[in-house]
Amino acid sequence: MSRCHFIPFVVAACTFSTPANAAPPAVGERHPDFTLADIADGKPKSLSDYRGKKLLLIQFASW
Amino acid sequence: MPVWHDTTKQWVKDGKLVLLGVTQEQHPERCKLFAQWKGFTWPILHDPINVLESNAVPIVMAIDEHGIVRSTRPNPRTFQADFLDKTFGDNATNKPAIPTPAYPPKFNELKAAAEKANTFGAWRRYGDALALWGGDARVIDAIAAYQKATQLNPKDGPAWFRLGVCFRKRYELSTRQPDDFRSAVASWGTALDLDPNQYIWRRRIQQYGPRLDKPYPFYDWVPEAEEAIRKRGEAPVPLPVRPDGAEIAQPTRAFAVAKETPKDPDPQGKVTRDSGSVACEAVIVPASVKAGQSARVHLTFRLAPKTTDHWNNEADPLRVWVNPPEKCVVNARLIEAELPKSVTSSEVRTVGFEVQVPKDATGALRVPVYALYHLCDDVGGQCRFVRLDATVELLVK
Repeated sequence: MSRCHFIPFVVAACTFSTPANAAPPAVGERHPDFTLADIADGKPKSLSDYRGKKLLLIQFASW
Repeated sequence: MPVWHDTTKQWVKDGKLVLLGVTQEQHPERCKLFAQWKGFTWPILHDPINVLESNAVPIVMAIDEHGIVRSTRPNPRTFQADFLDKTFGDNATNKPAIPTPAYPPKFNELKAAAEKANTFGAWRRYGDALALWGGDARVIDAIAAYQKATQLNPKDGPAWFRLGVCFRKRYELSTRQPDDFRSAVASWGTALDLDPNQYIWRRRIQQYGPRLDKPYPFYDWVPEAEEAIRKRGEAPVPLPVRPDGAEIAQPTRAFAVAKETPKDPDPQGKVTRDSGSVACEAVIVPASVKAGQSARVHLTFRLAPKTTDHWNNEADPLRVWVNPPEKCVVNARLIEAELPKSVTSSEVRTVGFEVQVPKDATGALRVPVYALYHLCDDVGGQCRFVRLDATVELLVK
């Protein structure tokens, strides 16, 4: 009698829930650098451009 | 922000402090106008896709000379003693880097890396670079990259949000595709379903949805700002996309049913029907509405790609008549689109209105509308007044 052996083939669904709100930098941590366009002229500016100066970083919206 | 602007003005002038802003909104010109109005002279960077992964605003951080965060909730009254006059050592614990794209962006390398790895993260990184630095011409590539990311990981909330930002951006460009606005809203909706606590994402979708029970005055400040700037003898920063609909809370503070019913401009339906010169698209936010609640309908009218017609602006503006079914109320029956000052034009025209569905409604609710407008033919010079009928279908859940 022939017997068929079925090997279960499991396909893992590789999806990862990706929360958007990665924890913001905490006190005592070096703020990660970033580069974004200046609304005045569209030119790039980085946080690291200001290294050596005390800085107040303000994230906001005009709404 | 004005508090911090006023508090730190002298320190900034004296070179003791740098103020750096990051705005978390879709249209940078609006923030530019706000900055002009308030006299902000400090640099403000634009993060349209929330690449910094902030989930709320405002976020204020005091960062020392070494790039180390010294306060995440600085107090304007004690800022000088707590931060400005203090000396700090370089004793940081390093925070993992935010995967923001480097500048100048290496599009080809990022694309090759995404194709080789074929992971959602690699496609999202490529999309981020395109969305931030690719300009209008690369929006289509950014959309494709984020679509790859979301196909590979349908639970990648940031990729869904950023995909929505790019769809909305293309909607406002000449390269727009039908359904771009609808796709933007759908993408933001998916993102928000994945992370309901993401306030930046929520605000974005609220800008285009129905008025909230307590309407949020997103951009009510714009006319006041423009007037104040003109009084100073300056020209206000022009806004390519004027705030509209739910972005303005005033003068309506709640869902207001149109009290006076204007006259149906074509009750007998005698006006000649348009034979394909203009296409109408309806976008409903939210995509499905609960019984008894309201949705905002955005109607977009665009000239068909191969038409030789243009809008004739020497006559009435485009008007839309809304004919709601029984027990269904709308905030306006007759709506006019903005009329440009030029004699002719070919821009996309939009109007919006809100519909409150009956409490016992279920399934599909159809709201008939029609538009009346003037066109002229570029070739023959013939002008005509025509009507376009459409049905807005709301899904009641």
